[in-house]
Amino acid sequence: MIKQDLKKYAKYFKNYTELRLQENRNIHISIVDGDIMGNSSSTSSGLSARVYQSGNWGFASNPVISSRTIKEAIASATKNAKFLQKKEESHQFQLSGNSAESDKDFTTQKKKKTKQELVDFMKTIDAHIDKKYSDISSHALILGLLDMEKNLLTADGSKAYSMVPRANIYAKFSLKKDGKPVELANVMGGFGQFEDNFGNLDEIYQKLAQLYESVKKKAEGVFARSGVFDVILDSKLAGILAHEAIGHTTEADIVRGGSIAGDNLGHKVASELVNLVDFAHHAGDDLCPVPVFVDDEGTKAEDAVLIKNGILKSFMHNKETAKLFDTKPTGNARAYKYSDEALIRMRNTAILPGVSKLDDMVSTIEDGYYLVQPSNGQADSTSEFMFGITEGYQIKNGKIGKAIKDTTISGVAFDMLNTVTMISDDMCWLNAGMCGKKQMIPVGMGGPAIKCKVNIGGK
Amino acid sequence: MKTKKMIKYCIDSMLESGADKAQCYINKKKRHELNVESGEINLFRTNFDTTVKLTAIVDDKKGIYSINKEDSDSIAKAVEEVIAIATTSKPDKANDISPEQPPQVFQSGSTNMDANIMYDRLEEFLEYAKAKYPDTIYEQLILAYDKNNKYFMNSNGVDLQSNKGIYGMTAMFTSKKGKKTSSFNYTGFRTQELEKPLQDYGYLDELLQQSSEQLHLKSFPGKIKGDIIITPHCLTEFISYIGHYLGDYYLITGNSIYKDSLNEQIADSQFTLHSRPRADEIDDKKFITGDGFVAQNNTVIKNGVLRSFLLSLYGANKTGHDRALNRSSRWVIEPGEKSYEDMIEEVENGILLCRFSGGRPNDNGDFSGVAKNSYYIKDGEIQYPLTETMIAGNLAELLKNIVNISRDGIDFGSSILPWIQFSDVVISGK
Repeated sequence: MIKQDLKKYAKYFKNYTELRLQENRNIHISIVDGDIMGNSSSTSSGLSARVYQSGNWGFASNPVISSRTIKEAIASATKNAKFLQKKEESHQFQLSGNSAESDKDFTTQKKKKTKQELVDFMKTIDAHIDKKYSDISSHALILGLLDMEKNLLTADGSKAYSMVPRANIYAKFSLKKDGKPVELANVMGGFGQFEDNFGNLDEIYQKLAQLYESVKKKAEGVFARSGVFDVILDSKLAGILAHEAIGHTTEADIVRGGSIAGDNLGHKVASELVNLVDFAHHAGDDLCPVPVFVDDEGTKAEDAVLIKNGILKSFMHNKETAKLFDTKPTGNARAYKYSDEALIRMRNTAILPGVSKLDDMVSTIEDGYYLVQPSNGQADSTSEFMFGITEGYQIKNGKIGKAIKDTTISGVAFDMLNTVTMISDDMCWLNAGMCGKKQMIPVGMGGPAIKCKVNIGGK
Repeated sequence: MKTKKMIKYCIDSMLESGADKAQCYINKKKRHELNVESGEINLFRTNFDTTVKLTAIVDDKKGIYSINKEDSDSIAKAVEEVIAIATTSKPDKANDISPEQPPQVFQSGSTNMDANIMYDRLEEFLEYAKAKYPDTIYEQLILAYDKNNKYFMNSNGVDLQSNKGIYGMTAMFTSKKGKKTSSFNYTGFRTQELEKPLQDYGYLDELLQQSSEQLHLKSFPGKIKGDIIITPHCLTEFISYIGHYLGDYYLITGNSIYKDSLNEQIADSQFTLHSRPRADEIDDKKFITGDGFVAQNNTVIKNGVLRSFLLSLYGANKTGHDRALNRSSRWVIEPGEKSYEDMIEEVENGILLCRFSGGRPNDNGDFSGVAKNSYYIKDGEIQYPLTETMIAGNLAELLKNIVNISRDGIDFGSSILPWIQFSDVVISGK
């Protein structure tokens, strides 16, 4: 139903128009202490049309996909754009961009698991935790699967079909220490369907063993001291820093909204060791967690190099901001549901690896912290950020010490990145991120470990 | 197929296919939305959608399947799917559906929107804001009208319906002058009619005023244990934290800081927290709970004593406690006696917390984060807006350390909240 030839509807386009058919399919299974608390699936599909006329946008959507509803949505979106045209002064300019074509289907080639097999898989992991980790007071497992299937036709000739899946297992362990719970969570999986992510139970058990070791250490943890310290931010934190604190300030609509990045294009905003890229679909030879080949405006997606050797080089654009900034669109226009309009969104945002070894980086710190696992993160237009830290360790005399209890770190990213003195030569991706900006959307975040100075909330 | 006939068909089909208990929830949604980007109204959206959510319980095993289609083929496949999902589950005696209740139809708000009125109100606001706050930029401004027709029926004979129309606005803004940029801030409100200028709703005008002042920032001097006054706008976040600890997950796992505190004093006696989804003073009403009961107003904390957990039917069956009369976030906090100005005067050394950017409190209630868009208070007077200032505390202790609650509150349409002054919070500058 989603994959069909849309060209026959082009004759109904009277202005610049995007027609998108989309289906999102979700599966959610949650097990808490052996009980299945959630076992649900959902399918949401429909079509939308977005029309650009004299500087105004009209948008309309319908959950029913048929020739009639497609024509109605195009007419309704056109009517909405005209409604604004009558009231608003027009810009009278053409949108930037060239046409592109793409057909990418990442459906697994393996035999699909049945719902029973998925539930049994989760029950097996649950039974393993029960048997192996008897001192865990509470544990939760969540399987989350998302398939996003899109089919796009634009008035300037772009045609794009994609089926991009994601599969994650989230595990949370709680221990009681002096009668009080101590918790830690981890996420596994990422790009691809269940069958392409979770073929090997032993890999999952290894990650659960690491989670268990970490929560045991955290139970004996101490409070971090407050103040500015030398720290190593592990790769997950570098990824969330790249996304939240820098990435958002360089989305062109946020730049128009007054972000501090707008004043710093071409200026030094970070140590010359820092390179930061929003990858479209591949980082080197490797496919990224959220590959975008043609975006939801029909633009061929290209990497956006945001920071090169510490200099802020560019912003992320859709067709409209590219025109306003007199540059090319970057393929960052993305929508989550069929009924959402495309907004400027990051895809796979990462700080690039450096040349140092993690052990060498730790050895250079006399009194600081190794921060490993973020909970949530927020940043604003000034690049001031806050990240919750759920796993971290003291560094004393160049060696990893005791675990720390939950804390928060904060700073101004464009200041903090100037304190970066070492970057590790490896990197990993955070494959479960959802970004909220009017709509939620899957994003990839990645990075190496970085040594810098940061403000710790402490107690 | 008419909606109610279709729901009956769904329930009968699930029962015929092996379900012991079945329920069906349908929400028919229409949304009209005007969007402002960088100060201009540049997008008008019209969305139609339907949620059809089927729940089946087979031998105490529960499954849920949702689609957004109403045609016969899709419904037939959905029935087949939900039975298959339920069959894969694990038996749990706590799985249940709501018992028979008298059929009711609820009505609230306007059933029709007027795009011209929406446009005129938005344009009026933009003119006002551009004149009064010329340095403020609107990253995102959305004025929407939502119409929802909800139907909830189950195999116990429950037959509830609500028809609601509501306007809502969300605003996200930053002030910028030269190279000085404020932190962004955001707010919103809900209202049944657009009968007054948008800036007169909720806390919008005050926050725009604050944003325009927040271009020249300084850090909090030093590190102290002092007072914080949390604004109504920011209080919503802290109330949601309390709600987490009173909900299903934390109580079922035994990890809630309040698991043994029912009918115990958990907050200062000044503090009374209601959840009032059907109160006259709440514009954005809620009539039906997610598990199929008629929502009723509920007092969660009365004079500091915890009166109710926020458990679903499943959570109640699992823990042995009572089900909450509703689990909506229509919060109303009883006003206190002091004026906002008097509260500021009482603070010797502290901050006015206008936005909190923080990690979620951990299982013990410990929290820390950045005081955003906030002000330093010294000797009873607001001194200057803050940057790079952190606060830390414990949620359970915070509730016991209430000093004052303001007599005035802000009506957001979905909640009515005052300013609350708390003592003994760790505040630290850079």
